[in-house]
Amino acid sequence: MAIQAWRIKDRYYRLIGSRCQECRTEFFPPVYTCRHCGSEIIKDQEMPKEGKIMTYTRLHEPLPGFEAQAPFYLAVVMLDNGARVLTQVVDSPDESVKTGARVRATVRRAKVDGDSGQIIYGYKFIVIS
Amino acid sequence: MPKSKVYITSVGFTKIDDHWEKSLLDLAVEAARGAMKGTPKVRPQQIFVGNMFSAVGAGQEHLGALLASALGLVGVPALKVESASSSGGSAFNVAYSLVKSGALDSALVVGVEKMRDLETEEVSQAVAMAESAEYTQFVGASFAALNGLLARYYMEQLDVSRDELSSIPVIDHANAVNAEHAQFRRAITPDAVSRSSMVADPLRLFDCAPIGDGAAAVLLVSDRAASGAKKKMAEVLGGRIATNEFSVYQREDMLDFNATREAFKGAMAQAGLSTRRLGFAEVHDAFSVVGALSLEAMGFSKRGRGSKDAKEGKYNMGSEFPINTFGGLKARGNPIGATGVYQIAEAFLQLTGQAGKNQVEDADYGITHNVGGVDTTSVVHVFGRAT
Amino acid sequence: MHLMKSSKPSAILGYGAYIPLYRIPTSEIARIWKGGGSGPNTEKTVASMDEDTVTMAIEAARYAMKMSGTTNLGAVFVGTESKPYAVKPTSTMVAQALGQHYTLAADLEFACKAGTEAIQVIMGLVGSGMIEAGLAIGMDTAQGRPGDDLEYGAASGGAAFVIGRKGKDAIAVIESSTSFVSDTGDFWRRAHEKYPRHLSRFTGEPAYFHHIESSVQTLLGETGHKPSDFTYAVFHQPNPRFPVEVATRLGFTMDQVRTGLLNPMIGNTYAGSSPIGLAAVLDEAKPGDKILLASFGSGAGSDAFCIEVLDGIKKTRGVNPTVKSMIQRGSKIDYSTYSKFRDKLHK
Repeated sequence: MAIQAWRIKDRYYRLIGSRCQECRTEFFPPVYTCRHCGSEIIKDQEMPKEGKIMTYTRLHEPLPGFEAQAPFYLAVVMLDNGARVLTQVVDSPDESVKTGARVRATVRRAKVDGDSGQIIYGYKFIVIS
Repeated sequence: MPKSKVYITSVGFTKIDDHWEKSLLDLAVEAARGAMKGTPKVRPQQIFVGNMFSAVGAGQEHLGALLASALGLVGVPALKVESASSSGGSAFNVAYSLVKSGALDSALVVGVEKMRDLETEEVSQAVAMAESAEYTQFVGASFAALNGLLARYYMEQLDVSRDELSSIPVIDHANAVNAEHAQFRRAITPDAVSRSSMVADPLRLFDCAPIGDGAAAVLLVSDRAASGAKKKMAEVLGGRIATNEFSVYQREDMLDFNATREAFKGAMAQAGLSTRRLGFAEVHDAFSVVGALSLEAMGFSKRGRGSKDAKEGKYNMGSEFPINTFGGLKARGNPIGATGVYQIAEAFLQLTGQAGKNQVEDADYGITHNVGGVDTTSVVHVFGRAT
Repeated sequence: MHLMKSSKPSAILGYGAYIPLYRIPTSEIARIWKGGGSGPNTEKTVASMDEDTVTMAIEAARYAMKMSGTTNLGAVFVGTESKPYAVKPTSTMVAQALGQHYTLAADLEFACKAGTEAIQVIMGLVGSGMIEAGLAIGMDTAQGRPGDDLEYGAASGGAAFVIGRKGKDAIAVIESSTSFVSDTGDFWRRAHEKYPRHLSRFTGEPAYFHHIESSVQTLLGETGHKPSDFTYAVFHQPNPRFPVEVATRLGFTMDQVRTGLLNPMIGNTYAGSSPIGLAAVLDEAKPGDKILLASFGSGAGSDAFCIEVLDGIKKTRGVNPTVKSMIQRGSKIDYSTYSKFRDKLHK
């Protein structure tokens, strides 16, 4: 897990996704083939850090490793460039988490490998108040 | 090679339950022997095992050869087929394609999943492998969470109420009351669904298919190898697998189950049938919202009307087009890799008049619909009475 | 001559603070441990369970970099006593998150003055011409032993400063600095211990007061500045009373101390304490204002700085959330939630 995460650390820290060099559509997570025009000419592109909630859920039965945070919000965020991110929404009052809410990215502890393993940091979002 | 007709001659399956006393192999053998006993003259030429996470659930891979040996079929080619929760339907599709093409005269398809040796959160982790490890599992999104996102989107965008969403689970439970192999055989009310504990808001416990162990098997034969009374067989008229954009939330329209639409159209085209000829459908309702969207994608309901039509009785037993005649995923159960084969076995029972109290009258044709991920891999087969 | 001045002046080009959302009233801590009452500060800040010094440092650093517009950092230093790893530098994770690789990166430890020493080191690197700009961060998720008096104050937060050559957009120039250290064990944490220990009253005169008075008096003496030359005075804030007391002794007034005195609302953010105080002052200071900054780190030592605000400060308004706004957007939690967040429950 540590090496798998290390390989894509810039995706996790800086939301580095893809930009199709032919039709200029941007994607996150990164793609091999453009979803819009099928081109294989894809370059890394840092995503904008703000967007809005398309839909969300509150998860009460978490995956292993996320028990301490349960229940927590997950949302599909449409970033200002049209790319969509699946992400947790944290530090936001319940009534603020709703479809259409504007959110911004931050970096948080995403997964921790016990007491002696590595900490993986990654993007989470906060409702902009 | 000339194309052959393909028949299912017999099926076997275990009850779906917490089978503490039975291992993955125990279940697979039980189902396989049930199917093979029904067609004693045929020795299957190939075995296909549908299963998703034996590696995690039982520390076991190489299921094809494992089962072949256990059945005394050493030497017979045998493979595992995996496509998340459509592993069963996919294994069947591969077998069907080979028998249809004439490459094989017979095949044994076994779907099996052993879930209960894992703790609930470990099952959640195993099932989550259907989705992106690096970007979905990584953010803590379980499979239920993805479906919860979809459910909220469905309800908000297409104005579907909580009460309407509960309709398909209610149908499932009503149908399972008389289904001996079903995991849950108690009817429920819409109220019970909307009051059950919250899993991934808005999805509640009774919106979600349960965890359970089980195995189901079917034996397929070609025209050439078929012998005996045709009325005891079901014919496989068409089958198609289609995939969708991998992550549901990346799709242009999350509410459009395009893989199901394409698989359904393809299978029906192979069968040369129009929708109104169908007498029943076994629909992959891992979650209430998925059942509704699948009905819409296959054109049985208009957009946004899947749950609403279910609430109005359009899909009940006794209606013109009943669904999930033995309880569907919610009540019959959903041992992940086995589900697709259970559906096919149930279609066989319907078309050979062996469905007992769950018999759909006058159904000449029916379909099974089996999905991996959130309409990510969709597998539809069309069946008819053998003639 | 003890004054540290670089041949080429260094300046603050950008700054950013980070204060987490959650607060626990000290009355709530006292309710659990003392049956009532409260601590010397009203509330303290609490990092959420998915926050740590790395995540908070990244937030503050991003604000600072946004303000300065810097693209290349030659140094990233994080001063903290709550590193998530004993071995694996916080600073490289911050650097990675900022896209910086050709940089000197290191974590510094000197209790509550680790952040200000980062500033001094970067002053040297910039002033010598070795680098063009560097990032100094003081940040902590301070841990208080449950039931100990220090638990009232041990808080989370800090600030980051981009320091580079003084140019036309510079916000404030760092004129000079002094340090004064001695082996004084007023507060410490042995290598594998979870919580620090301290010597109560001994942390006052022989530690806090002696070292701050030494560094500031040296700074004033060698620069020729008088306390009245300064508009603001920011001191390390372990509690609400010490910074006011040391200010008075050194000849500073409450008016000078007020803006940078945040302990009553946020508690003691350790290596973040005087840096956040400085950020709060910069949020309001005007060109020409002089700021005295004096940190204190147990073990013990004090760094004192003479900082003068420049015209560039005018363009910083509204770029980042102010310290005041971060303090105001607090969300109260109770002791059990606080324990869960700060991992005090044994599983």
